[in-house]
Amino acid sequence: MIEVRDVTKTYGKGDNLFTALYKVSAIIPTGTAAAIIGKSGSGKSTLIHVMSGLDHPSDGEILIDGKSLQDMKAKQIDTFRANEMSFIFQAFFVEANQTCYQNVMLPLEIAKVGRRDRRKKVEEALRAVDLIDKIDTLATNLSGGQKQRLAIARAIVNKPKLIFADEPTGNLDSATGELIIKLLFDLNKKLGCTLVIVTHDEELADRCKMKIYMKDGEIKQITPAPKQVKGAKK
Amino acid sequence: MILRDLIRRSGRSIKSAKGRTLLTALAIAVGTFALTLTLAASNGATQYVNKIISENFDPAELIVSKDEAIFGRGDNSKPREYDPSFTTILSNGGANTQLKRVTDDDIAKIKKVSGVDRIREDITVSLQYVTREGQKKYVGNVAAYNPFQKIEVKAGEATRRPEGKQIYLPEGYLEVLGFKSAEEAIGKTITLAISKPITGDTAKQIAATGASQDPNQIAKLSEQNITSEEFTVFSVLKKPTTSQPGTELYMYVSQDEARRLNDIATQGTVNYRKYNFVYVRVAGGEEAKKLMAVQDELKKQSFSAQSVKDTQEFLTSIIGVLQGIVAGFGAIAVIASVFGIINTMYISVLQRTREIGLMKALGMRKRDIGRLFRFEAAWIGFLGGIIGSTVAVLVGSGLNPWITDKLDLGAGNKLLIFRPTEIVALIIILMVVSIFAGWLPSSKAAKLDPIEALRTE
Repeated sequence: MIEVRDVTKTYGKGDNLFTALYKVSAIIPTGTAAAIIGKSGSGKSTLIHVMSGLDHPSDGEILIDGKSLQDMKAKQIDTFRANEMSFIFQAFFVEANQTCYQNVMLPLEIAKVGRRDRRKKVEEALRAVDLIDKIDTLATNLSGGQKQRLAIARAIVNKPKLIFADEPTGNLDSATGELIIKLLFDLNKKLGCTLVIVTHDEELADRCKMKIYMKDGEIKQITPAPKQVKGAKK
Repeated sequence: MILRDLIRRSGRSIKSAKGRTLLTALAIAVGTFALTLTLAASNGATQYVNKIISENFDPAELIVSKDEAIFGRGDNSKPREYDPSFTTILSNGGANTQLKRVTDDDIAKIKKVSGVDRIREDITVSLQYVTREGQKKYVGNVAAYNPFQKIEVKAGEATRRPEGKQIYLPEGYLEVLGFKSAEEAIGKTITLAISKPITGDTAKQIAATGASQDPNQIAKLSEQNITSEEFTVFSVLKKPTTSQPGTELYMYVSQDEARRLNDIATQGTVNYRKYNFVYVRVAGGEEAKKLMAVQDELKKQSFSAQSVKDTQEFLTSIIGVLQGIVAGFGAIAVIASVFGIINTMYISVLQRTREIGLMKALGMRKRDIGRLFRFEAAWIGFLGGIIGSTVAVLVGSGLNPWITDKLDLGAGNKLLIFRPTEIVALIIILMVVSIFAGWLPSSKAAKLDPIEALRTE
């Protein structure tokens, strides 16, 4: 469960002060697929940066499964991110001159997973995104959709509890995008991990259980309403 | 990230930028090349000097003279006081240098110094000629056999020393003296002609005839004034590889014989029983302490005494200075290449901003990111080191026979001796230097803000 409590994030000082997030609060229950929707500059990316501990809120608190990110040291946050979180980006960010195997291996190396388990885990992840036959292919030789599938494999290889996807279909044509979305939701169900998708695509958002609408650094609307979510938790 | 993964990942990124890496590594390779060859030359020269010394000198002996000038240490800027024992020698540059010599009285004095075991004079007699029945006459030198000299015998006895009228003949004389083989020469007689000084009646005779005004007459008369000595060839020496330069064709006889021949050649002249230097053997002189004690005592008595070790140090220090200069140039090349590494690493960090952002987002620690790039720098250093030293070893090994020939080092001696441990150490040093060069770029990478980095499209 991700709990965002009164988070404010500002950049700059004095006249240049810019408020990216203002008193944002939200709760995303474990296993939920949540969409953060808003135009560019609405603060949605900043919100996931803060949620993932990549950025520090100027005020407020982020709790992940009850643990406050603000109480952790940089090293602990790093370990936390390595073991429990993952990212998918609009521009894929796969290493073109490395093989699929090497790309997917990266999180395992960062998380210091033992060498024996690595191959098995990488193969499992590549199988889940249907890229197992490309295991030794250089990422540069993959199509856009394949690259994003590779990025997804990289995101799930270490079985994270939390996956942040920043505009995962933004660089893909609609048919390929559809495949990626389907894959993401399948994995969300199968692995039971929390999925937070940043998007401005209403269609994609509609398929998420939870929607957080943002505008000018503030949350405009959350559906279902927070009360209902809280009620459901009881 | 664990070390192994960091090293592998950094190696991989090196591979993905082959051209850039190779060019940067080549700059280091130039320095490594110079340093590897310098080390090799230093090894070779030191070994060569040591070999010459150990195969010609007894470590328990001191070389004692009355004059520092013989060791090249005299002060030539001031005139020196006259001494009747002076002789003139031709120094290396071709200049005349006056040298005070060791006399019989001096030898008696040295003998009294406690700890002195034996004294042998350094004797070389220039012959008028050497010949054999029915053969032409050839010039030659006879020296006293030095028991510590390493000799290689082509034929004849190797273990026993020459005594009485026995002589070691260098193989160079075989053919000209009409021997078909070394074996054939053994036991045969050769004639050494020694020119006696023109003294007494002969001198009066010359003066009376007025021949002293005519160089040709004097030459003829001195040729009549020759003593012929018959010697039996005892062993034939192989062409030496580590003799002192210029002594390759020396014939050797026992110390007593050499002294006798020298007396014949100098009797009645100012040179009689005077020696440039003598070898003083110190009892138990293998021990530095005992050797030093005698050396100090001799110096107190205003002798100039040098141990084999001093000679060795003197020679190697000259080599050291030369090596230092070359090594300095190598080091400058390495320092220059450091800036290449810094530059390359900055480019690498810049190109991989996104990758750094991703790794940070995935929880990679600052320290590990820094290390990743420092290892990358180390790889460049490693590559440069390998390339430079490999080329140096290849070129050096190829050049060795040529150098040996040009410098006349003698077969089997090499100027360039490569030691794997030194090369490994050199490469490690280069890697450390590279890591330092990569410090700034790598800390820049470590400090990158992941959010900014991931925004880069």
